[in-house]
Amino acid sequence: MSVVSLRGVTKRYGDTRAVDDVSFDLHENRIHGLLGRNGAGKSTAMRMLTGQEVPTSGQVRVFGENPYENADVLSRVCFIKESQRYPDIFVARHALEAAAMVFPNWDQDFADRLVEEFRLPLKSRVRKLSRGQLSSVGVIIGLAARAPVTLFDEPYLGLDAVARQAFYDHLIADYAEHPRTIVLSTHLIDEVADIIEHVTVIDRGRIVMDDSSENLRSQAVTVSGPTKAVEQFSDGHEVLHREDLGGFTRVLVSGVPTGRDTASLQVEPVSLQQLVVRTTQFHDAALAGSGNGNGKGNGKGAWS
Amino acid sequence: MTLTQLVKVARIQLVNARMVLGMPLLVLVCVLAANIVIFMAIQTPSPPGESAITGALISIYIVTLVTHVQTMTQMFPFALGISVTRRDFVGAAGLVIVGQALVYGVIIWVMALLEGATGGWGLDLAMFDLPFLQESNVVTQVLVYAGPFLLLSFAGLWAGIVFHRWGQLGVWVLGLALGALLVGLMALVGSQGWWQQVFDFFAETPTLLMFAGYPTLIAAILAAATYATSRRAVP
Repeated sequence: MSVVSLRGVTKRYGDTRAVDDVSFDLHENRIHGLLGRNGAGKSTAMRMLTGQEVPTSGQVRVFGENPYENADVLSRVCFIKESQRYPDIFVARHALEAAAMVFPNWDQDFADRLVEEFRLPLKSRVRKLSRGQLSSVGVIIGLAARAPVTLFDEPYLGLDAVARQAFYDHLIADYAEHPRTIVLSTHLIDEVADIIEHVTVIDRGRIVMDDSSENLRSQAVTVSGPTKAVEQFSDGHEVLHREDLGGFTRVLVSGVPTGRDTASLQVEPVSLQQLVVRTTQFHDAALAGSGNGNGKGNGKGAWS
Repeated sequence: MTLTQLVKVARIQLVNARMVLGMPLLVLVCVLAANIVIFMAIQTPSPPGESAITGALISIYIVTLVTHVQTMTQMFPFALGISVTRRDFVGAAGLVIVGQALVYGVIIWVMALLEGATGGWGLDLAMFDLPFLQESNVVTQVLVYAGPFLLLSFAGLWAGIVFHRWGQLGVWVLGLALGALLVGLMALVGSQGWWQQVFDFFAETPTLLMFAGYPTLIAAILAAATYATSRRAVP
């Protein structure tokens, strides 16, 4: 069942379309990955579906209602973002206390355990917290709030690998006990590949991929071998990426061709990261080819 | 927007009440202490029966204004980040401000009593019991002290949300626009030869109306402006 839906949503800032005629759904009790390059429109989409921004056109529905200024809907939505600022007069504890007042499903025991685990100094002024400690404030709020719709937008800037793993572990364990709709927006695709059940990729404000992880993985393969054989194999299918070396060729094909000769070829599964990156590049190249870019995409955007 | 919801959001704004409500009072106490020290040092021989007046009371009003600028520049984006609506936030800020103004009004009234009882802090110093603010009964006296808090706090909220939406430029434009409006009014008054009426207005308006009535009216307008400006504000 869909708990969040965007239909033909566009958000324009001046001449730029940060989000351009986008439609997708978030399904109940599922972990979604919202992926894309810097400036692709992920955060804008999330701000619209949490009522923080209003779309220029199109329709946003959360639990069937418009989330803008809708206290009833918003109490069931928790949006954790990397850019969250906290009042200077706060110590870390105040942020958690405030969140505890707002979210009806808040679990204080869980929050206390997470504070322990992330070693968050509760009495430190937020201005004195490191980047990683600030991120853990957000992560703790996002997990302990147990909001039916929880969105994490790059929640772990500055968190070390151990802390990130702790976040994933807690997320999965708590999700198993208290299923909810979760959105993870991140550049670290490899790290979340095993967690996310549904993948939505946005590029230059448009959706370029929206399917279950399972489908995506089964649809694309990397094929390598003699150029001629590879070309025969991939003929008529979408080649997202191609590398040539001597007489050998390696391609990433989407839509796995069936019943074709693979005797001289090596066929391998594709990692989600590879698929997402190559699809985005393919989409970018197609746009550049047709001169249809909206000027928003920046060639320097990094995946790191 | 139920009252329970407002109280909940007000509690978020007061999650660090010691800073929000305590800071202006702390500043007030420090300013009082500083004034006592200064007046001890200069020892002006004031004529008997007349107190030396200090305008230091204005400090708590200014600090309160500044804290409410921060209510919008810092607390507002945080609250929206944890799923509070703009409507509830501005409503709750109004609730906090009205309560704060009344509590501070009572505190200043108590300080005025103390001032009287101690012979002007032993120095014939008048910081709280100012002649132009005197009222004959407790309720109107507290309202006279509270009125300017309402006015300045809501002015702080509006300035804060203007800054949050349009940055320094917005505040400059707003300030210059208000300045131009003031200059225009003064030019009008001058050209029409209305100055005498203006002076009479200030001299004749009863203290209660001047310090509680009109400020509350202007505060209500500022509250509406704050709400309108917050509608399209993004955290």
